[in-house]
Amino acid sequence: MNESMTNGNDEKPATRRRSSFLWFSLALLGISLCVLRVAVASQDGAAASAEAARTLWQSIGIWVAAFMTLGIFSFLYKDNPFYKVCESVLIGVSAAYWMVSAFWSTLVPQLFAKLSPTLVKSYAMPSLTPSETPGLDFALALVPLALGGMLLWRLAPKGQWISVWPIAMVIGVTAGLRLISAVESDFLAQISATMRPLIALETTTDAAGVATRSFDFWGTVGGFVGVIGVLSVLSYFLFSIEHKGVVGKSARLGIWFLMITFGGAFGLTVMGRITLLAQRFEFLFKDWLGIG
Amino acid sequence: MTNPQHIGGIRGFFARLGGIDRRWIFLAMGLSIAIPILLKLRFPEYPGPMAKATFDAVEKVPEGSTVLLSFDYDPASAAELQPMASALVHHCASRKLKIVFMALWPLGKQQADRTIDTVLKPFHPEYREGIDYAQLGFQAGNEGVIKVMATNLPKQYPNDADGKAIGDIPLLKDTKDLGAFKLVASISAGYPGAKEWVQYGNGAMPDAFEVVSGSTGVQVGQLLPYYPKQMEGLLVAVKGAAEYEMLVEAKYPAADPEVIGQGRVRMGPQLVAHLLMIALIVLGNIAMIAGRPRGGAR
Repeated sequence: MNESMTNGNDEKPATRRRSSFLWFSLALLGISLCVLRVAVASQDGAAASAEAARTLWQSIGIWVAAFMTLGIFSFLYKDNPFYKVCESVLIGVSAAYWMVSAFWSTLVPQLFAKLSPTLVKSYAMPSLTPSETPGLDFALALVPLALGGMLLWRLAPKGQWISVWPIAMVIGVTAGLRLISAVESDFLAQISATMRPLIALETTTDAAGVATRSFDFWGTVGGFVGVIGVLSVLSYFLFSIEHKGVVGKSARLGIWFLMITFGGAFGLTVMGRITLLAQRFEFLFKDWLGIG
Repeated sequence: MTNPQHIGGIRGFFARLGGIDRRWIFLAMGLSIAIPILLKLRFPEYPGPMAKATFDAVEKVPEGSTVLLSFDYDPASAAELQPMASALVHHCASRKLKIVFMALWPLGKQQADRTIDTVLKPFHPEYREGIDYAQLGFQAGNEGVIKVMATNLPKQYPNDADGKAIGDIPLLKDTKDLGAFKLVASISAGYPGAKEWVQYGNGAMPDAFEVVSGSTGVQVGQLLPYYPKQMEGLLVAVKGAAEYEMLVEAKYPAADPEVIGQGRVRMGPQLVAHLLMIALIVLGNIAMIAGRPRGGAR
């Protein structure tokens, strides 16, 4: 007997009662929200007019979105079939959307339009601008076509090594493309941005247009914190020197800087997630229930 | 660890808190967000230096110049980014700047269309498509799109989103490359987005235009090193959106403050939820300390 069957047979009456209570509560909550929705729409003039301005399909879309939102939220109580359905719909729709989007935004304009511009213009892209060098475009498009075919060879029963070549080309081109910009923007420019005056001065211009420079306390503090932070964090990543003495103390300070950075990043992530939840509640209250 | 059931008094109460069913926390968090929304709680926002820098960057652009707004996000991030996109479009239009919309994300085009329909058309009906604004839409290619635009914009975008040839659009017919824009603003949720605009746009033409960005909270850590040298302004998550809205609304009041006020609306629940979270962190630590055996090893 497998484990799930054993669990099913041995399910305690208390667990079953709790599960029934959960479903009864969820059903009651759903019915209450629907009743509230109807009541608000009939009583509130603004909600009723907003409802009247919607087309039937918009209303259906809002109801489906509301039930999907509640279905995903139901996971917070317990994993359940309603959640599973909503999750599967999300994954299926997303995968289908990305597939169609990639076909129409990449394959059709970047490949098929170059291989057969007349056919694509007639049946897929009426706005396709004719190329000045169709022969060259055709010849160049054969390269990604061949590489794409080689990549799909991975699915063949034999000769999977063929797919390694296009992957190698993608990696090589991407590395080459990113190397220069990374060196310029993420390395040289960052070093330059770090080299700022430790004693910061603030320039203010009065009504007569006379500029005066004064000591900027917080700018100076920021400058010192920046320099100490960069040096101490860099010393933490010096793995070829044992973290003892001055290097050890500096590395320990570097850990503090890193921890504060991670804390800040976590706080920002929390803020983002709360915003997402707030927006979903706004949708449920305003667009679906017509309150708030 | 001592069994919390065997500890009495206040210490026992706090020790038992450590084992609380997490669904109570979910419920408390839900209420802390739902109640401020229903009560329409709003708190004053005080614009920070990054929001001010973004506002000033737009203010600096001479009237009648063209700016490029790249919608590099999709509905999953719209809760954070749509408020700043709406405020930015209203700000640019109020300053009589020509706006070119584009997207590096497939659904960014729909977000831009939505902003045009909800902000540009109702608040600035004088804006005419093709003359005062243009919608280039989405192009696949990630940073490759920016790289080609930096040297030959018509090659990357031979048509606008409606299929109209770029040479037939008055606003874009003389545009050769990214140098035609005085400001590039990327409303960005990740890759490709603001980072790529700095690396491949600003990196290729550092003196041609300024880059400003609005970013999600998750991503902003990657963008902070670029501010202020490589990125003139940066709006940080919904807090940045709310601060920027304050600045825009103060100088250019919108006909419907609800549309240019979504960021501030979402800051009410933020405050209550953050207070709850701080309280839970404090309580969690107290529960952990209370659950330790007295005089025992840590």
